[in-house]
Amino acid sequence: MKRECSSISRLLEKYFDQEVTPEERSLVEGHLPDCSACRMALETMQNLKILIKNPVEEAVEKETFPWVWEKIERGIRQEEKPGLWESLWSWLDMISLRKKKILIPAVAAVVILILITAPLIYEKMSSYPVLSVVEYVESDTYNVMIYEREAPQVTVIWLFEGPEEEPLTS
Amino acid sequence: MDVNEAQLISRCQQGDQEALKEIFNQYHQKLYRIAYGVVRHREEALDIVQEVFIKLFRSIHQFKGKSRFYTYLYRMTMNTAIDHTRKMKKVPPLSMDEEEGFQLSDDADKRPDRILDHKELEAKVKWAMDQLSPDQKAAFIFREIEGLSYQEIAEAVGSSIGTVMSRLHYGRKKVQELLKDYVERGR
Amino acid sequence: MRRKASFSVILILLLSPFLGGVAFAQVQVRVRVMEASNVGSGFDSSLRDLHDQLGSLFSFSSYRLLKDETVSLPLNHPVSLPIPPERSLELTFINQHRVTAEIRVKITRGGRDLLTTMVRLAPGRSVSIGGPNPKRGEGTIITALSRP
Repeated sequence: MKRECSSISRLLEKYFDQEVTPEERSLVEGHLPDCSACRMALETMQNLKILIKNPVEEAVEKETFPWVWEKIERGIRQEEKPGLWESLWSWLDMISLRKKKILIPAVAAVVILILITAPLIYEKMSSYPVLSVVEYVESDTYNVMIYEREAPQVTVIWLFEGPEEEPLTS
Repeated sequence: MDVNEAQLISRCQQGDQEALKEIFNQYHQKLYRIAYGVVRHREEALDIVQEVFIKLFRSIHQFKGKSRFYTYLYRMTMNTAIDHTRKMKKVPPLSMDEEEGFQLSDDADKRPDRILDHKELEAKVKWAMDQLSPDQKAAFIFREIEGLSYQEIAEAVGSSIGTVMSRLHYGRKKVQELLKDYVERGR
Repeated sequence: MRRKASFSVILILLLSPFLGGVAFAQVQVRVRVMEASNVGSGFDSSLRDLHDQLGSLFSFSSYRLLKDETVSLPLNHPVSLPIPPERSLELTFINQHRVTAEIRVKITRGGRDLLTTMVRLAPGRSVSIGGPNPKRGEGTIITALSRP
């Protein structure tokens, strides 16, 4: 019995995964009624599978994938824009040597000018208002409304129990 | 691969985003299942699915049809999910008081629902899965969550069936041991 | 080759003021939870900066501060804290562009998702999440997120 059990236990996982040959299946199924250890091992594998799989199935079932395709499209658009370096080098390669002798000192002068004014520009750009503060909102439980104003700067996400409910606005 | 799928792939390789959208419609749930199986977090799993389709559009010209398309997609998803896990470097808690990945405010331990709940179990399952090597995790998730055969798993991970069986065996054994209280409780 | 290298060095020096603002390892967010109601009157002094904003939109007579906490959000690490009534607020710092931080906000109750949103917060800017509308004689909870 013990010898048979040790050889069968090596087949148990394959049997659980339904990867056994017909002969192997007969061997295992012939052994199981008489061996509580092997039955328990199978039960443990089943319990583990339920533990691992059920939450995933629940998550997939209730998922509506909002905005996922739109974000993929946006991601592809962002990737399709040529990088700064690629554009710069391809431009530099294209222009003639004579133009390079004029352009490069001119560019260097512009660079130095920007270097001096960059801190001022950066400070000004940092204070520009964010055009859209809320990128997306999702709620399966409530209806949602977004209030956004620039003066005074206010962004409020408000939840409603039902569509007939009025917002308490002034 | 059926003719329709081959045509979709070909159109996608030529930059047709509508073809990619059809592939998305066919596969996004399956890929989400795999991603969620790895990260156990809704928003991260959605981010991974997004990233996979963007990567797919960029690299689909490399798909030569030597393997089945869905195993190619599954491999891309698994690799992306595992990379994502490495970047996040989360350490799900053994108990709410010992968390590193999540930071709770001082009155968290005053919550009335300190008994084992869904979120805590999920965190423990994820922690157990994170103790597996990437190869073991891939084999385990492909088998237990997606239900792939050994042959399909071997194709998806680029290994032999024997290697897949070995990884599955040691992966299962490890996770069973780490979650033995919960697995035995299921009896 | 040498010309490309020297050009790169000049550009790096030029962009260095911008590079400093591109990516931070973490960001701080101030979380204030208040009860807004028409019972009584008054505006908690800690909410003074929100007075014009909320007052311009809502007609509540009273705003009472319940919680005021500043949390540090490391990049891509969710941070959870309980908020009344029996809810949990999860904040995840996703991305930074110049001074604006993209933060994912999730509110749950008993493990159930009530709201998920992605907001962009710049220093001095706040986003408030509130509702549903209170029943007669009761207040409603508003959670204000801002960058100190």
